[in-house]
Amino acid sequence: MKKAAKVINVRHRADSGSSFAKEIFAPLAGMGLTMNRMVDNLTGKVNATIRYPEERRAYSDRFRGAHILTAREDGSPRCVACYMCATACPADCIYIEPAEHPDPLIEKYPARFDIDMLRCVFCGFCVDACPEEAIIMSRESELCSFTREDTVWDIKRLMSRPELPEFGLGYRPNKKLVDSTITFTPVDKEKKKLAGRVTLKEDVEMIPNVTGDPTKD
Amino acid sequence: MPKFTLNNQEIEAKPGQTIIQAAADHGVEIPHYCYHPDLPIDGNCRMCLVDVEKMPKLTPACTTTVNEGMIVRSDNSRVKEAVRGVLEFLLINHPVDCPVCDQAGECRLQDYYMVYGLHTSEIPLSMKVRKRKVIDLGPMVVLDQERCVLCSRCIRFFDHVTQTGEMQFFGRGDHVAIGTFEDRPLDNPYSGNVVDICPVGALTSRDFRFKCRVWFLHATDSVCGGCSTGCSVRIDHRDGAIFRMIPRRNPEVNKSWLCDEGRLSFHELNNTERIQRPLLKGSDGSQAPVGWADALRSVDTRLKEITKVNGSGAVLGFASPSATNEALFLFKRYLQDQMGATKFEFRIASEDKNVSEREDEILRRRDKHPNAMGAIKLGLISDDLNGIRGAIEAARDGRIKAAMVMFLAPLVRRAGDDLAEKQVLELVNALEYSVVIAAHAAEWQKAASVVLPVTAWSEEEGTYTNFEGRVQFAGKAVEPVGDALPVWEMFAMLLHASGAASRWMSAEDVFVTMTEQAEAYRQISLEQTRLPGVVVG
Repeated sequence: MKKAAKVINVRHRADSGSSFAKEIFAPLAGMGLTMNRMVDNLTGKVNATIRYPEERRAYSDRFRGAHILTAREDGSPRCVACYMCATACPADCIYIEPAEHPDPLIEKYPARFDIDMLRCVFCGFCVDACPEEAIIMSRESELCSFTREDTVWDIKRLMSRPELPEFGLGYRPNKKLVDSTITFTPVDKEKKKLAGRVTLKEDVEMIPNVTGDPTKD
Repeated sequence: MPKFTLNNQEIEAKPGQTIIQAAADHGVEIPHYCYHPDLPIDGNCRMCLVDVEKMPKLTPACTTTVNEGMIVRSDNSRVKEAVRGVLEFLLINHPVDCPVCDQAGECRLQDYYMVYGLHTSEIPLSMKVRKRKVIDLGPMVVLDQERCVLCSRCIRFFDHVTQTGEMQFFGRGDHVAIGTFEDRPLDNPYSGNVVDICPVGALTSRDFRFKCRVWFLHATDSVCGGCSTGCSVRIDHRDGAIFRMIPRRNPEVNKSWLCDEGRLSFHELNNTERIQRPLLKGSDGSQAPVGWADALRSVDTRLKEITKVNGSGAVLGFASPSATNEALFLFKRYLQDQMGATKFEFRIASEDKNVSEREDEILRRRDKHPNAMGAIKLGLISDDLNGIRGAIEAARDGRIKAAMVMFLAPLVRRAGDDLAEKQVLELVNALEYSVVIAAHAAEWQKAASVVLPVTAWSEEEGTYTNFEGRVQFAGKAVEPVGDALPVWEMFAMLLHASGAASRWMSAEDVFVTMTEQAEAYRQISLEQTRLPGVVVG
């Protein structure tokens, strides 16, 4: 048979652990801690928050931000319009229209490649599915726009990425293949005020229209 | 009837059957590339090797006839190892460009690799023998020689089915490739079939090329609406758009084949504008769109008035041999029961004479309507009118005052189609009151008193009766355009508006009523109209 549980009155327990001195001094001790913190904050000794957007958190190398369509050496898209990304996409946000490529060895290229950034759930399945490393992700997360139409990124927008030097590359599981075309190094952690900035040290030719000198931060 | 054992299972084969056929009949699939049920046996791909007891070596299942007491295994490790080896050989020079290949998703190389292969290729891409890609072979076919597994199905198709012999092997050893002499285009009317029978991506369809990946498509079983042969087809569609039409194997009608015109006939549906809403001619002589209820009430009232004044013979029912049996049945029922009409006709260009007349030796027939035989069997034909000419004369004489004219444009075009439309216009012009039932808009419909929009082929389900009286079921693939209704549904509503009992909720209900009441379709069930269909008297 089950043993009957012992009944404990919690109030008695609280009363026995309490004393007059504790009742008086505990709030004062707490107030002291609050004052100390306030002084630290006001004098700049600790800084708990990041002042976004002037400062930005250093995102991980696997961050799944806005997509990038990578390019061949001649600047045309690497994508062969195989629909693997559209097939894998759980949000059904990728629209592709294929066309005949003049080179029979490439055969197929996307005449249209649209991603609806409002529908996208940034799961990165498209990157996993791509057999050509044609779609990778950046760390770009600021995707606001004034009209709904602007949130559907077409192939031109997905390939030309002026923001890229600021945000850097994100999720791309097959580093070996991608690194042969795009190289980047994350900045040192010490640079607090420029947290999250990345530097594109070597050539970024595979991503056309990245303007500016990539060796400079 | 020889009995043999396949994988410990006792199977009774038909006399003369090979192992692969007997196995397929009992639901055991033996992997194969070159074997095709409707082509002569070649035995060159070696994928169908099976282990037959007391035979020293493995033997191809497609060329070995079943003998009494044979003990065959297709699933032991010896067979699997052999098949894996054959597959590795076939893939040695294969470019593995599945991402850009249209066959991906329905490719036998992919399927069998996943079941039997799963090996790592020992040959790097740089060492593979390269062949020619993207070769234009006429209006239907694109050839990629690298992807070919040299099964010779296409060669045998042109040698034995069309007997034109356009394709052949070229070269020797590693460099063997299929092709046509000097890349001459395949211009015979059945060339599209080689795309279907090609087990890999070597021959792909020009029409379907890059249109859609096959795994996005939904399939609907249907019957080709291109001519009176009534080939069994599968309509592949996505988001309300038809992407392709491929044959379903029906040994009684079309085997595994389909003509190119039939294959492309679905494009005709979108070539001309569709009627979106019912149109009613006002007192000023122009047609204005109205709702279905108003249109049907107006039609019924007006036809009843004319019958009252001029007698029951004044209303003509002019049917379309492209409509389904269900549509024609309710069409006749409405006019006969509610108007007492006695005159029915559907012939514009002697469809009853050429319904079974062959256009060539394989599939095509002269009558380009899928259901002329259905119209004949349902009695939509009258000897004293004898076609549309008689109807026009009767209308001019004043014997016919009003008519319901159903005209569904043929999906396969021929010279003389314009003449048919001209004659319909003549009939409409000669009438006092005309109700035109059509799917596609045309200039001549402007003369009609009422235009009722109905669904075209592939947008409604129903049965079609082919040239030999074979009733076959066709499913609904895509949604109708605008306010268009299925013809049977429109007549069910019209019967209701007319005050008759109308209890049909689906084309199936109409079919059941038809088998109860129409003499020709007595005693058949809907199950019988599925593959391969049922021949009625």
